[in-house]
Amino acid sequence: MPDSGFPWPIETTRLDNGLRVVVSEDRTAPAVAVNLWYDIGSRHEPEGQTGFAHLFEHLMFEGSTNVAKTEHMKLVQGCGGSLNATTNPDRTNYFETVPAEHLELALWLEADRMGGLVPALTQETLDNQRDVVKNERRQRYENVPYGDAWLRLLPLLYPPGHPYHHATIGSMADLNAADLPTFQAFHSAYYAPNNAVLTVVGDTSADEVFALAEKYFGAIPARSEIPAAPDGQHVPGSGVATTESVVTEVPAPRVYVAHRTHPFGTAGYDVTSVLATVLGSGRGSRLYQRLADGERIAQPDLVGAYGVDLAYAPAPLIATATARPGVSAERLAAGLGEVVDELATVPVTAAELDRAKALLSTAWWRQMSTVEGRADTLGRYATQFGDPRRAAERLPAWLAVTAEQIAAVAAEVLAPADRVTLTYLPEESS
Amino acid sequence: MTLISTRPGPGAARPYRFPQVVRRGVAGGQLVAAHLPGQSLAVALLLLDAGAGRESPGREGLGAVLAKALEEGTAQRDATSYALAIEALGTELVAGLDWDSFQVSVQAPVDRLPAAVELLAEAVRTPRLEPDDVRRVRDDEATAQRMDWANPGPRADAALRADLFGVENRWGRPLYGDPETVAALEVEDIRIFHSEWFLRPGTLIVVGDLERLDLDALAATAFAGTGGGAVDRGGPVQLTPRQGRKIILVDRPGSVQSTLRLGHPSPHRAHPDHVPMRLAGTVLGGAFTSRLNHLIREVRGYTYGIRGDFVSSRRFGRFAVSSGVQTAVTAPALVEAVSEITRTQQTGVTEPELAVARSWLAGQLSVELQTPRAIAAALTTLVVHDLPDDYHARLRTALLAAEVEEVSAAAAAHLHPEELTLVVEGDAALIQAELAATGLGEVSTSTR
Repeated sequence: MPDSGFPWPIETTRLDNGLRVVVSEDRTAPAVAVNLWYDIGSRHEPEGQTGFAHLFEHLMFEGSTNVAKTEHMKLVQGCGGSLNATTNPDRTNYFETVPAEHLELALWLEADRMGGLVPALTQETLDNQRDVVKNERRQRYENVPYGDAWLRLLPLLYPPGHPYHHATIGSMADLNAADLPTFQAFHSAYYAPNNAVLTVVGDTSADEVFALAEKYFGAIPARSEIPAAPDGQHVPGSGVATTESVVTEVPAPRVYVAHRTHPFGTAGYDVTSVLATVLGSGRGSRLYQRLADGERIAQPDLVGAYGVDLAYAPAPLIATATARPGVSAERLAAGLGEVVDELATVPVTAAELDRAKALLSTAWWRQMSTVEGRADTLGRYATQFGDPRRAAERLPAWLAVTAEQIAAVAAEVLAPADRVTLTYLPEESS
Repeated sequence: MTLISTRPGPGAARPYRFPQVVRRGVAGGQLVAAHLPGQSLAVALLLLDAGAGRESPGREGLGAVLAKALEEGTAQRDATSYALAIEALGTELVAGLDWDSFQVSVQAPVDRLPAAVELLAEAVRTPRLEPDDVRRVRDDEATAQRMDWANPGPRADAALRADLFGVENRWGRPLYGDPETVAALEVEDIRIFHSEWFLRPGTLIVVGDLERLDLDALAATAFAGTGGGAVDRGGPVQLTPRQGRKIILVDRPGSVQSTLRLGHPSPHRAHPDHVPMRLAGTVLGGAFTSRLNHLIREVRGYTYGIRGDFVSSRRFGRFAVSSGVQTAVTAPALVEAVSEITRTQQTGVTEPELAVARSWLAGQLSVELQTPRAIAAALTTLVVHDLPDDYHARLRTALLAAEVEEVSAAAAAHLHPEELTLVVEGDAALIQAELAATGLGEVSTSTR
């Protein structure tokens, strides 16, 4: 058993303006990953501004003080790099992996959009990217069967006013209502060096990165007051199971069972991660063995369970199954609920536990096998737990989970009275 | 001003290295390996000459069913025991196919790779293929495909492929078949295909820290009990060029987007223009800054994204553009996409665009080829297309040396805007009249 999930060097510093810098040197490949975690996600969005954090992620590629519109992508791809950005309820994340000789270019680009986005932001850019995001909403959520499941589950799991109540993609109405000054104010509020972590992993040294960070980011002023997201740590259980049924154009009945568990990073969530793997990862999982193979009521490719790694409130555990032909949604939901219930009553065997830990170990090392995977992980731990070195704790923590802990967490958070059940039904069967 | 206005130039270029490749014959099969020192995970991939191209027309989807049937029990253990045994090693059997090959692989911590390869070989060489299990897997696969075909895309892809290559040919039908062809497969089809193609040794690809792995032992495990030699793989397919552009409408009532698939046939993988064609495709539709994405997404806001590329296998290739656009702008998006393809064919590429494409594709070799899986995929390319060990280094040189003239010439020779098939999957009631009014070509409706 490894005592560390992160056997590479980690060096850190903090600039005077509050920007935290994390470096992990690895000379194996001639590439560097640059990753910025900004502590701004959809959980910070006030009512009427849903979707803003994500729309902002798009605007960050549209030019800044010294970078012309479209130039950002052109420069990174033009040096051989890969780049992207993602937004979730917790944070917004910008990243690129470039051949090592272009590290300085990547840092210059990131600094320019951290410190110089507002002057370059125009109404035309805002309108264009608003259209792109609305197309993203259509493509990913509205035009595909079951595509809106996540949008439906969140408000069932978290009450109005909770930071996770609304989905990151936001509502069309809020996106339509967004005006330019609101966006400029949004950037000013959150895109500050003291609200970000810069991580660089790969073919470079800490000395080089610290000097370049000072050169490019050092003069960007800190902001004194960064608005906090509403506190969501305590979600009162209703004590009543919540169900929602959707009759729509889907090819087969599908059931999602969801629970609030523990925040990512806590001991309870480590247990939840192992529990989710026992429950729904792979052909040896309980859900596969019971519903796809045993009773044969679920389609084998579409059965599974996973935790959503959110850190600022009890994070969701979601189990799902899709009915084989001739199987009713009621039967499927009953079967799914039963397997989830049994996590508290039927002890997890040593073989089940070993299987789950082996799969989680491989998944961890797969994430660690690229410089970008490592950079994202270090940025997460620095942002959410104040210290990137804590990344090393996760794998050993998973490997230490016991069957008794799984049963205890299952009894604590997977009770039927705290359950959210979302069912999709094909139109013709209604 | 707090920001530095001068864009920094590059530092000294670091040398590009593709890992040293090991190739040798072992136990009747071929072994190809690459050394990644210090990696915790290793990959073993068995490459068989059993791609979709080996399926007969009407039997498509056979490989996809067989891929799943491999895990339904072996000569030594039933399906549940097999799942528990392989997942206890922290790995899963990944089986899949493309036009040229069938691939089965495992990725595991280095010390567990030998045991994982034993289980891989057990599933590939000695699956039970009990008739009841095969029928159930077939029915599940047909159901899975029906689920998939409820999404926008598969029907449009099938309509395009049928029109480009002819539905009478295997390569004119979907790679994994469709829900109907899968449902019609017989147990014997699967068993015969297995005995014909899965008992030949094939090639074992191993990537990882080779100092901790016994390659000959891994190969001996993978090739045990096999026999039979290589079978001729056939030359490039001959296509009769078609005249005129056409629109095929695939109805999807109520769709809030229209799915676009525009394409025409293009040369096979070994064509000498492979590199300049790829660069031309990148300028037109490959990079985020491509002509198509810039115009249709960044300027017009019609879509979340649009891509275009040349894709080739051993025997055939195709150029295709794909996107999803908001229903109301289907016709203008189509007109503008065709216009960009035409402009690229007629006037070629510019040096600034080519500079981005060239260094992007070359740089991607350093950036992308980090993981055991990525290196294994690169070795697979060497084997399937008979390429030399230094192929990736040479490819990098060729990409960086490509000139505007040859890339423009490739665009002129291999783009055929007048012969495009334009497949549109969307709400026909809303878009049919507009599509006809574009004058881009005759509109027909797909019956799929």
